[in-house]
Amino acid sequence: MVKTADKVEEEIRAIFSADTPWVTIVWDDPVNLQTYVTYVFMELFNYSKARATELMLQVHNDGKAIVSTGSREEMEHDVARLHEYGLWATLQRGDQL
Amino acid sequence: MTSTEGFKRHGDHSYVAQFADSEKEVLLNLCEQIIELLAERTDHGNDDPLAAMVGITSHDSPPEDDVLHRLLPNAYADSVDSSEFRRYTESTLRAKKQAHAIVMRIHLKSSEDGTVDLDHDNANAWLGAINDIRLALGVRLKVESNSHEHLEILAPDDPLRGVYAVYTWLGWLQESLLAALIDDVDSKSQPENS
Repeated sequence: MVKTADKVEEEIRAIFSADTPWVTIVWDDPVNLQTYVTYVFMELFNYSKARATELMLQVHNDGKAIVSTGSREEMEHDVARLHEYGLWATLQRGDQL
Repeated sequence: MTSTEGFKRHGDHSYVAQFADSEKEVLLNLCEQIIELLAERTDHGNDDPLAAMVGITSHDSPPEDDVLHRLLPNAYADSVDSSEFRRYTESTLRAKKQAHAIVMRIHLKSSEDGTVDLDHDNANAWLGAINDIRLALGVRLKVESNSHEHLEILAPDDPLRGVYAVYTWLGWLQESLLAALIDDVDSKSQPENS
């Protein structure tokens, strides 16, 4: 696959900013129950019911919420676990929000 | 289809439900279907066997089927990153989701009188499996935000009417299990910022 100049530039930037935090984002979904989304946040991230509910409402009202922050590897792990439980999650660099 | 009372908490970390024969049959049928749906793709025949053993596959494009695409979504907005991630993780994700449905199937199959008794881990497997089934049905029903109106007025002979009845029943069943679980979990987690 031929990478565009933009893509290469982006990777070079990434190499020189290894400490840039990544974020896991959960997106709103019309099927998942609100109680279920709250429960998954409590189980996977050990958040309190209050914190988990707050994040769930943010997903519901704003369409998305940042649910965790860390290294790229950690965020890939979080996204994989969220996918396992059927939540719609993606990760991205924190400085590109 | 609401002859059961859903899940109730019995003592510490025990969540019990009693299903009628017809309900058990519906749930088993749905488990079989989701297990089959999540089976490995057969549209690739040139996998490196060693790579396959550690869960790396040659396919890196998202599934074409809408239901599978929802169950196995992209992890990145960027398609190159997403493909790379999928190549290393999709196989494991399929296996984990299948495992949830298999746990559910085992409980139902081994229950002679329709009673199932779940511990915390099994309850999580059931929640994941029920959720995957609801996601699959939701895609077929074209469930969108605030779009339940078109489903409420389906004609009596519309096959989707039955699907929608199962979909709402599963939501109710999932909600009953969550209600039994959530206070248990909250009493364990540490309060933040306090």
